[in-house]
Amino acid sequence: MNLDKWKSQMVRGTLEYCILLMLNKKIYYGYEILQELSKYPIITSTESTVYPLLRRLQKDKYLQSTWKDSAEGLPPRKYYSLTPEGKEYLEAMNNEWKNLLNAMSDLKGE
Amino acid sequence: MNATFEKYLNTIDNCLKPLPVSERIDIVKEIKGSILEMEGEKLTTEQILDRLGKPKDLARAYLGDLLSKESKFSWNRFLIVCAFYSLVGFSGLFVIPCLAIVAPTFIVCGIVTPVLGIVKLVDYLLHLNIPFVEYIGFEFGSTILSPVPVFILSIIMGVILFLVGKGSWKLLVYYCKQVSKTKSNLSI
Repeated sequence: MNLDKWKSQMVRGTLEYCILLMLNKKIYYGYEILQELSKYPIITSTESTVYPLLRRLQKDKYLQSTWKDSAEGLPPRKYYSLTPEGKEYLEAMNNEWKNLLNAMSDLKGE
Repeated sequence: MNATFEKYLNTIDNCLKPLPVSERIDIVKEIKGSILEMEGEKLTTEQILDRLGKPKDLARAYLGDLLSKESKFSWNRFLIVCAFYSLVGFSGLFVIPCLAIVAPTFIVCGIVTPVLGIVKLVDYLLHLNIPFVEYIGFEFGSTILSPVPVFILSIIMGVILFLVGKGSWKLLVYYCKQVSKTKSNLSI
């Protein structure tokens, strides 16, 4: 049984959705997103997946970011937030997600 | 932050060479931020390196999209690149030197003309008889203007010349900006 491969594919497909859902509630800095994700083993990710993803989402204009050079020896933090396009995108994703869940429960015969 | 991480970030920076400098600085700054956060949580150097993975792999994750895009060779793209460089090469051959000479020349003339007009007027009003001032003036066929209209005309001419010079300069800057913008849009 090769569950890991399937799991990683599933996560890769949904990570974008997870991040947009998070940013819809409040603004996060990059490392904070990783921390939040690591609360759930299934979507725990590292810098090498999340940071490039954030960059791509920003390039596609779904996210915007600002650097805050936090004082008192804390590292500088790049805060991300949703743009209006990002909110629209998330809305459409929510819709599709519902479709997927409906299809799943149908297939299961619930 | 110890030397291991400095080296790590340097390697990343080197691997990101295909990206624009501003983007590279931003990426490295964000990774550095992550390292500092983890150090703040008292993770050991080994643990941090383990989580970040090899610097080359991390850099490759950023380049992922770019590399897969570049590997697709298409004749269409090739022709666009050729057309771009031919057009810029040929037009630049004329546009840049012409405007670069014209702009400062017109600006200087635009300043000098009214100054000479003033000199002529002052010379005439105060009867100074400054040498060579008799050569300053406007000639239309056989009519030679007297100093007062020369002064007025010189001011007008000065403004016009200056504006033309400034316009040429702006055109030159605009041309260069457009070229670099087009270049980055084509991502050559």
